[in-house]
Amino acid sequence: MVQDMRLIELKGVCKSFGDTHVLHDVDLYIRKCEFITLLGPSGCGKTTLLRIIGGFDMPSSGEVLFEGKDMTGIPPYKRRINTVFQKYALFNHLNVYDNIAFGLNLKTPEQLGVKTKKEKKDEIARRVGRMLKLVKMEGYEKRSTDALSGGQQQRIAIARALVNEPEVLLLDEPLGALDLKLRKEMQLELKAMQQQLGITFIYVTHDQEEALTMSDTIAVMNGGRVQQIGDPKRIYDEPKNAFVADFIGESNILDGVMLQDDLVKFSGTEFQCVDEGFGTNAPVDVVVRPEDIMIVGEDVGMLAGTVESVIFKGVHYEMMIRGEGAGESILWKVHSTTMQPVGTRVGMTIVPYNIHIMRKATTADAVPVAQAAEEEA
Amino acid sequence: MVRNNRTVRSVRAVWMTLLMLFLYAPILVMIALSFNASVSRSQWTGFTLDWYVKLFHDPAILGALRTTIEVAVIATVISTVIGTLGAIGMHAMNAGMANVLINVSYLPMTTPDIVTGVSLMLMYLFCHVPLGKWTMIMAHIAFDIPYVLFSVMPKLKQMNPNLYEAALDLGCHPVKALYKVIIPEITPGIFTGALLAFTMSLDDFVISYFTSSDMYPNLSRIVYASTKLGVKPTMYALSTLMFATILILLILVNKRTKLENL
Repeated sequence: MVQDMRLIELKGVCKSFGDTHVLHDVDLYIRKCEFITLLGPSGCGKTTLLRIIGGFDMPSSGEVLFEGKDMTGIPPYKRRINTVFQKYALFNHLNVYDNIAFGLNLKTPEQLGVKTKKEKKDEIARRVGRMLKLVKMEGYEKRSTDALSGGQQQRIAIARALVNEPEVLLLDEPLGALDLKLRKEMQLELKAMQQQLGITFIYVTHDQEEALTMSDTIAVMNGGRVQQIGDPKRIYDEPKNAFVADFIGESNILDGVMLQDDLVKFSGTEFQCVDEGFGTNAPVDVVVRPEDIMIVGEDVGMLAGTVESVIFKGVHYEMMIRGEGAGESILWKVHSTTMQPVGTRVGMTIVPYNIHIMRKATTADAVPVAQAAEEEA
Repeated sequence: MVRNNRTVRSVRAVWMTLLMLFLYAPILVMIALSFNASVSRSQWTGFTLDWYVKLFHDPAILGALRTTIEVAVIATVISTVIGTLGAIGMHAMNAGMANVLINVSYLPMTTPDIVTGVSLMLMYLFCHVPLGKWTMIMAHIAFDIPYVLFSVMPKLKQMNPNLYEAALDLGCHPVKALYKVIIPEITPGIFTGALLAFTMSLDDFVISYFTSSDMYPNLSRIVYASTKLGVKPTMYALSTLMFATILILLILVNKRTKLENL
């Protein structure tokens, strides 16, 4: 199937700037026509990885393959890849039309499928017109780029890249400067464009919600390493380690012991779960999403606790609930549509398939995870 | 309280007036004399434009005007090209190396003109290059370059670093990216630099004096030579025109710099 064709493949890519190691041995492949997001906190190396794919930076070691051929030393202007830059990078000395036509003007008439210069001009006008329609900016041809709002500049930057009909479009936090509402609209539009054009999109963001909304595949990065690759649902439901669990969505991450297959103990209580193969009495990290904890009567729950704080979050209430007995050190984050007043004693229940078990991160990994979580906060 | 004090305010006004007089009185006197009908420096006998008319009928002065403009134009064009390319190169360098070069480029701006002039003259003589128009032009290029450099550098610093990459991304060869994107983007800085270089060229006397000969006098040299024979009012007229031209050019440069920093 075309879907499974590996368009770009990174093999053991490392990158250092002086003594700073930004990427460690990254292996990653990108399939044709997929929307892949490189997701991670600032400084995780995601932008550097994108720049290596674009040809703006060279890897210190490792290979970048394009359709199986090594393209490590190929300059950006010879790659069938175009980029939407973080701060748009529109050419201020050119108007909207000339910005979009920039790449096409550099091509010969033959490359555009026509014979004469006159025909080339007409062909460019046709393609630019089509792009302006795609990004909903018809009628703005003669405008100066300074006269556009952030969102409009972003649309022109996208049109300027897409008009060249690249195999791959790279997007470096393209929506970072837009307000929330506009950002949500653009997310859907970008996704629609990608599906309509059938181009591979490689998208960089630190916004996990954005990644979950748009992507076919997410590569979660931290500390210059890819932590986990998978489709959004898998990443959300089955985070591979505490970093991913913490970075994607909200979670309660607890110390636990895997007593045997399908039985885990945390917060001083034994729970049925659906995870196997960890051995017996193995220390593990346990992830429970706040929305997966059900509040029940104080005496019928698997756990009991007292509500310490309540915040209204729009769709749900976020409650912090202090555990009891052996679980006294645990402050549970619980999302629920019904509110329990502060000071109420409640019971909590978790069903087996909502308990996610992860192998304990080694101490070496644990430090950057904590740092990254702080940065994000 | 001190601010509203009347004495303080009047002292301030008197001080300002004295300062302005000290700076501009000589020039004002010269401008006034250039319109004086009498040759005498001590009495006003009526307004006239005769000296200006005479000025434009004096072949020596017209020749010097031509030399001055020719030198300024050639030096401006060449120094603008060298300065702009130099600025782009320095901008692309690593910070340490660029800093050394920037400081080295500052030096000629702070060196006294007489030192620059004498040292250039010595170099020409040492290399057996006869002094003339071209030695003067080369000297002008040398002292103009820093002005272009320091007008262009800030523009490059302000520029979005992704612009160059965007040009490469859209299919430009590095050289093409330079003239299709970088140069247009920093044009305001280049223009300011050229204007400044042109002004400095017109303005210069000391360096020109040492690097040229009497065979190819420029305007400032003519003015200087005439003082030896007793100054004629045509010289006041000429100096007034030079002052006005340079004033206008500097106002232009200033306005441009302000506009660019908006």
